[in-house]
Amino acid sequence: MIAPAKSGLNLTLKVWRQSNREASGEFKTYELSNISTDMSFLEMLDVLNQQLISRGEEPVAFDHDCREGICGMCGVMINGQPHGPDRNVTTCQLHMRRFRDGDTIVIEPWRAEAFPVLRDLVVDRTSFDRIIQQGGFVSVNTGSAPEANSLPVPRVKQERAMDAAACIGCGACVAACKNASAMLFVSAKVSHLSHLPQGGGERASRVLGMIGQMDREGFGACTNTGECEAACPANISLWNIAVLNREYIRASLASNVQ
Amino acid sequence: METGSANPQSSLTNRLNLGWLGRMLSSSVGRKFVMGVTGLLLCGFLIGHLAGNLLLFGGPEAFDAYATWIHNQEFLPLIELGLLLLFLAHIYLAVVVTIENRAARSKRYAVKHSKQAGMPPLPPHNWMFVSGAIVLGFVLLHLADLRIGLRPDLAFPEWDEHHPRMYEMTVAVLSNPLSRVVYIIGTIFLGLHLSHGAASAFRSLGWDHPKYTPTIRLMSWLFAIVIGVGFCSLPILIPELAAVAPPEAKIVTPAEP
Ligand code: HEM
Ligand code: FES
Repeated sequence: MIAPAKSGLNLTLKVWRQSNREASGEFKTYELSNISTDMSFLEMLDVLNQQLISRGEEPVAFDHDCREGICGMCGVMINGQPHGPDRNVTTCQLHMRRFRDGDTIVIEPWRAEAFPVLRDLVVDRTSFDRIIQQGGFVSVNTGSAPEANSLPVPRVKQERAMDAAACIGCGACVAACKNASAMLFVSAKVSHLSHLPQGGGERASRVLGMIGQMDREGFGACTNTGECEAACPANISLWNIAVLNREYIRASLASNVQ
Repeated sequence: METGSANPQSSLTNRLNLGWLGRMLSSSVGRKFVMGVTGLLLCGFLIGHLAGNLLLFGGPEAFDAYATWIHNQEFLPLIELGLLLLFLAHIYLAVVVTIENRAARSKRYAVKHSKQAGMPPLPPHNWMFVSGAIVLGFVLLHLADLRIGLRPDLAFPEWDEHHPRMYEMTVAVLSNPLSRVVYIIGTIFLGLHLSHGAASAFRSLGWDHPKYTPTIRLMSWLFAIVIGVGFCSLPILIPELAAVAPPEAKIVTPAEP
């Protein structure tokens, strides 16, 4: 005699469906039964899509790649929270054990003028790429790994740069902010590069270029609400935003970059 | 690129090499910097203004002495002009920044919840424009009442050059039902505006550091409470106190000129 499998969750999903950029889009309701609590959130969406395909319907488009919290592709709004209810995790790392039997889960794409919806839950985040193109890099060729003692980096600076470099560019900060501001993302990049000797030389042109592009893309300003930090899966600190402000003011008032 | 622009304005900014200023003031970060500076300078004014106004609790002599002193200062018009400019800059930027912030998310979420622990249901940082607009309404009435004197319905004591009876005037204003209610509401919302604004301004200025931030946050909170409670106590308590001890009894009629 085989014991009946422990039954999983029965869920109601309200998923944003939008066929293309121009379409107006709407929520569609789907029922799922017997979802294992060991599944990740994306696996739960895979199950939904399998059912939709077998019914001859269009599967729900959602972004994902690594499924281990590194690539930053998988962000969606889950019950009104970027990447769902847990702190410091991405959607792909969220597990269904976080939900209760009978729950209704509302799934929406990031919403920002600078992140237009392409299809269902997939948004166009190339605005982030264009911000990076305005200085989020070091333009000198640093060559192969140098002799470690030839370029000393104080430990505090190294730690701060590493913390800021943890940003995976998922856009949860924009999604969480009431102003759809990209300040936490830009601040992580600026803070990461400008603290290091290789990046220090271009710190003024970097911050002016990146903030200029951030504004042109239509992201909002910072009200210091702290929502971005709470939503960030990579634990980027608000402190970086103060660094960004400082860098910008310094570059504007006290640098010779035109 | 601007090459040989015939626009006199742009050639002036070019000649003065002020392009950086224009860029800064039209950027989101530069605007928030100026909002922070103007907001903090207005906070500085609030400290002085509250300190002076608390002398209302000291009775007519104390308050009138202070009022006479301040009105005789030559720099007063300069301070007033500065305050006006600070206000106008802060309000102009508040409007511009709020419009742009709203435009950055024209399509709202169906469901939205904070991920911050212990957020109150309507945190002041989510309606800074509303609290600011209420403060503005209060300030306009306050200026009409006491600075410009546009309220014929208020029973002001007769003005006397040698003895500006500011205490009586202020009590008359604070006892007026309309002013009293608006002042109470306005000062409460001023406190709420500052409960977020005071600490926020420091980050807008780039001042955030493990060494200072905990102190800045605490001091900003205390500041918002002192300003809110301090100003709010005036319309609540002064009319009651003045009714117990009518000022007329204490005023010595000034000698005939
Ligand atoms: C005595 C009067 C006022 C004081 C002391 C004051 C102070 C401040 C301070 C310190 C900030 C923080 C700035 C920052 O985050 O960098 C602020 C923000 C703000 N103020 Fe005021 N303010 C006053 C009146 C007003 C008025 C009349 C308005 C206009 C309607 C206004 C609208 C705003 C808005 C919208 C913000 C938030 C901007 C944002 O971060 O999104 N304030 N205020
Ligand atoms: S899929 Fe790569 S971070 Fe989630």
